Amino acid sequence: MLNHAEASEKFIEDAERTTWHDETLWFVRSKRDKVSKLLPEWEALREQASSIKDHTLANLGQYLEEFETKAQANGIKVHWAKDAQEHNEIVHSIISKHGGKALVKSKSMLTEECHLNEFLTKKGVEVVDTDLGERIVQFRNEVPSHIVLPAIHLKKEDVGETFHQFLGTPKGNKDPQFLTEAARQHLRGYFLGANVAITGVNFAVAETGEFVVCTNEGNADMGAHLAKVHIACMGIEKMIPKRKDLGVFLRLLARSATGQLITTYSSHFAKPREGQEMHIVLVDNGRTRQLARDEFRNSLKCIRCAACFNTCPVYRRSGGHSYHQPVAGPIGSILAPNFDKSANVDLPFASTLCGSCSNVCPVKINIHEQLWFWRQDLMKDGLAPLGKSLSMKGMAFVFSNPTIFKMAGYMGRLVMRFAPFIVNNSLNPWFKQREMPEAPKESFQSWYKNRK
Amino acid sequence: MSSRSEIFDAIHALEKREIPHPGDFKSYEATKDPVGDFKNSLSIVGAMCIEAENKQKAETRLNEIYPDLIRYTSHDVVSNGLELEAVDVLEIDGLFAVAENGAIWLSDQFMPNRVAPFICQHLVIYVAKSEIVPTLHEAYERLDGHYADFALFLAGPSKTADIEQSLVIGAHGARSLCIVLI
Repeated sequence: MLNHAEASEKFIEDAERTTWHDETLWFVRSKRDKVSKLLPEWEALREQASSIKDHTLANLGQYLEEFETKAQANGIKVHWAKDAQEHNEIVHSIISKHGGKALVKSKSMLTEECHLNEFLTKKGVEVVDTDLGERIVQFRNEVPSHIVLPAIHLKKEDVGETFHQFLGTPKGNKDPQFLTEAARQHLRGYFLGANVAITGVNFAVAETGEFVVCTNEGNADMGAHLAKVHIACMGIEKMIPKRKDLGVFLRLLARSATGQLITTYSSHFAKPREGQEMHIVLVDNGRTRQLARDEFRNSLKCIRCAACFNTCPVYRRSGGHSYHQPVAGPIGSILAPNFDKSANVDLPFASTLCGSCSNVCPVKINIHEQLWFWRQDLMKDGLAPLGKSLSMKGMAFVFSNPTIFKMAGYMGRLVMRFAPFIVNNSLNPWFKQREMPEAPKESFQSWYKNRK
Repeated sequence: MSSRSEIFDAIHALEKREIPHPGDFKSYEATKDPVGDFKNSLSIVGAMCIEAENKQKAETRLNEIYPDLIRYTSHDVVSNGLELEAVDVLEIDGLFAVAENGAIWLSDQFMPNRVAPFICQHLVIYVAKSEIVPTLHEAYERLDGHYADFALFLAGPSKTADIEQSLVIGAHGARSLCIVLI
């Protein structure tokens, strides 16, 4: 597997596409800025959302219990899974009881985290992702590169080619309207025929035992209301105490995600319909471990809006796949080490620590600080690559010895002025795609001493 | 030990932290023109809007907008959602609407079937002008104590921008939405 830096290098080979990716996501970020500024209470809403989540996480046991009781009273079957494997097995056992061979699934980052599709496919179940972006990447045997815009790494030419191959659309047709219509017709057939529908959960309300699913396409509802069985999969951190709290989160979610006022559909599921079976699978998969860590607990407040992706200068220029995790971007980089430290040691370093992610986060997660905490944690565990730990040690040595520091600065200026070829070559990563700056004539210290 | 108790044990083993709920949120300023704001939000979410004194008077306009299409109303009960596949236009009643985002609260008590507002090709929703609240906070205030087995906020026709961020109306749900303000 390539690490983030190696995968990014591949991504940016196509400069034109990288620029498009960068600018498109920045455009989404700008839309978020515009709608958020229309609300005078925006900052107070963020604070409120953050406080509600803090309160919920401090009382998670109580709210999970309340939710379970209410949901069961509503006629929903509640399941508990401690990890991804158990989650997948529970889902499979429900499906096999109903003899379902094909199922429709709407967007759920949890099922991506658990690699549910892969698991079910191996068991002979055909999983049909029904979100347009997810269907596109599923055809291409890829994974989503963004949690809200799954196919943002693709151009319409790519989608046209994929649909030509899988749906028989005319070769060369790349009209988004036409391609969306083709997907609509194709997926309607599956909606009408599926026995089982899987959806994610945006919010689960302890007070009422209901859960809310937000989409723009209507795919979650098309699946859930037609299938005999509806399985909703959620991480245990999706809990909120009261229904009135939904007002806060629904005002923030779409505005932060895409700059919309609200998603087209915000569906509140409380009871199964007549003759339908409704299941909820509540999944831990490392969340209680994260809950126990003071410095990382906040990451569980995330409502998956992806505002931090859209604003991140590193994400925008490296693409979601370079993070090799179902949840990419800044938030993914602080969630991933909780699952596997050594496999994700590169991710907390895939950041400039500029803090833009924390500034846009609707639930005020201190993302950039947690990236920095993870760096320290991973270095302490000895997981950093040798080059990095050696260079850090070298730097610490230089910075802690004023004489050597002065000498190094002097040498650096000398080299850059008289022998620039020593730094201006491909061995120096800072030289890639950049001009090295002109060397200053003197150091800051000497300028300060000699100033008039 | 069951996974349920493992999860609860892990949570209960943590040090107790006292963090109170911040209480209900109040929006800063109430709009002076909920109807105007609502209409503005509708244009942003891509919905049409017509005004009429009553349903009968709206009839003429709807016949112009949807000529020769089969129209169903929320009084036609359809137990099997699949039968609604053939519905061109569905007319249903919204309970109330939200000015700030163009959302309308639809409850399954007033739909022929839960899938109805999604599976139809075009959707018409009637809302009373007197039933428009400023923001989602007032909306949930109003819903306090009222529960439906299934309900939703619906804002605009189904849409997607998954292909190169180009907005396309009519992803899986209704291709158009017409709000009739009574």
